[in-house]
Amino acid sequence: MMTCKDVSTLISTGGLSDAPRARRLAVRLHLAMCRHCRAFRRQVEAVARAARAAAAALEAEPPHDFESKIAQRLRR
Amino acid sequence: MMRSVARLDETFLGRLRRRDPEALRRVVDEHSRRLYRAARGMGHSTSEAEDLVQDVFVTFIESIERFEGRSQVSTWLFGILHYKSQERRRAVVREELNDPVDQVFESQFDARGSWVQSPSAPDQHVSAREAAEAIRDCVDGLSPLQRDVFQLRQIEELSAAEVSKIVGQTITHIGVLLHRARTKLRTCLEGKGWGRSR
Repeated sequence: MMTCKDVSTLISTGGLSDAPRARRLAVRLHLAMCRHCRAFRRQVEAVARAARAAAAALEAEPPHDFESKIAQRLRR
Repeated sequence: MMRSVARLDETFLGRLRRRDPEALRRVVDEHSRRLYRAARGMGHSTSEAEDLVQDVFVTFIESIERFEGRSQVSTWLFGILHYKSQERRRAVVREELNDPVDQVFESQFDARGSWVQSPSAPDQHVSAREAAEAIRDCVDGLSPLQRDVFQLRQIEELSAAEVSKIVGQTITHIGVLLHRARTKLRTCLEGKGWGRSR
């Protein structure tokens, strides 16, 4: 029987996708029954959304001639 | 023994090794903007990020003989970016075995592994802009290694195996670093009142 701590750790470490099928099913079952762990998962997803929004808001595009500058430097 | 070069066409690898300008240009065109965005996400300014990515490609060319084509070019380039980024921050790359944030997570559960207090459900109505503003300061509280792993796993959406190769840590430790980063960010956001119903 998985505990809330087991389930939350697995979600938080990102290890769920690589976990064996039986473990993934056990997590699904636990989440279906536990509102606290569902709230935890929503928190983790909200952090991801916020981080992606912050990344998108950064001045994250280099100048238009960026690739040419690099190519120029590599030719030196 | 024949070595399979599954990830990169051998002819193309040969052209890169001969410093064929067209092949180099293709690698630059395919990867430079993604690397630049990642460098910005790792906390470098626009000019630093620009400089850093140029450095990445120079190192890539200098070390191309060691690149066997068994991993993706992007994994190799992100590995150089991570190394250069740490070098610039003069950070201690070695992560402490224990981080105080581990205790924060532990304290949220009782002896039977159940939540002591339910995590606060995040407010679904927070706008993307508000969310971005809230998390910006929190990200500065991450260690350099946690920040890089968070950027690569969460924003670049690379697999744990790829990130493990990039930062030179075991897959298990990548999980620990991501977990610590997420715990710190959740705690920081909760401290800002984020997630409490208004």
